[in-house]
Amino acid sequence: MTLTGWEAAFFWVFAIAALVAALLTILARNAVHSALFLISTLVAVAALFVLLGAEFIAGVQILVYVGGVMVLFLFVIMLVNVGAEERGNEMLFNRPAQVATSAVFLVLLSLGFIYAIRQGYEGLLARDNLITQEQRAEAANRRHARQQDLRPTATGTSRLSQDTQLVGASLYRFAALPFEIASVLLLVAIIGSVMLARTSKQEAATDDLELKDEG
Amino acid sequence: MNNFISSTLALVWQEAPVGRWQTIKVGVLEPDLSKFLVIAALLFVIGVAGVLTRRNIIVIFMSIELILNAANLNFIAFARYLQDTGNLNAVAGQVFTIFIIVVAAAEAAIGLGLVIALYRNKETIFVDKIDLLKW
Repeated sequence: MTLTGWEAAFFWVFAIAALVAALLTILARNAVHSALFLISTLVAVAALFVLLGAEFIAGVQILVYVGGVMVLFLFVIMLVNVGAEERGNEMLFNRPAQVATSAVFLVLLSLGFIYAIRQGYEGLLARDNLITQEQRAEAANRRHARQQDLRPTATGTSRLSQDTQLVGASLYRFAALPFEIASVLLLVAIIGSVMLARTSKQEAATDDLELKDEG
Repeated sequence: MNNFISSTLALVWQEAPVGRWQTIKVGVLEPDLSKFLVIAALLFVIGVAGVLTRRNIIVIFMSIELILNAANLNFIAFARYLQDTGNLNAVAGQVFTIFIIVVAAAEAAIGLGLVIALYRNKETIFVDKIDLLKW
């Protein structure tokens, strides 16, 4: 699997954008800025999904994460005021010793990851007979040839992807039970967040109790 | 251990038969699966850094979203790799990603409900001030 030409250029643009925005997410002083940088990261990762041929997942990522989860985050940031951190009265990070320990751990973690990816990728290529350039080109051509069979769009400039159709078919054919469990999970999440976020006055009202001292 | 050090150093100083610059040039002009894996690993590490170092619980939740997204990127990259090498209809990775997004949405809803309840009771969102269970 190799990206070539403009795809490679866009890969580097979006990969670097995602990493820089992710770094700024955890470094920003204002929580609202963090949320906006996280939205940038999510959009850049969605663009990487498009480059990988997963158009449906990219759309879901934009709709669910950026349209739903991040709006929820922004609402919660609005509800809890975080003024002290913005004004510089509060420390942004944990104590220096904790930060230093985390840094050492994370450097070791990333070195371990790079080592594992390097070793594993070589093994993967050997397993799938993709050592030489010709074998890789042949594998890429199969996908390319299949894309030439897809129906053209009305404008005739591009072709209609079958990604959504394939994902939907697999979802219902092979993952019907997890799909149903996911719907139950979402129901639990709805009820749970309503229960957690209600005030003590609302709790007393629904439980038919008298309020004693607060409310 | 020796193998670990030499392989990690080899990333910086590659002694491939075709030459170091040629290898780097091919790697930049034709990014493959391993580049996606490295990007996802770095996103994961940045997310873990946020969880371990920040005090603001909302930013910690955002870092968890970063970690989940790194996993999604891995799944999608491997799905594409399988489409190129084996079955042309391999979309299992994309189906998994949908479930991860569902779980992430549920986690965010519950977590932010917790943050609101916590803020109402303790008047703080800094994790080192929330030490009721600390002995």
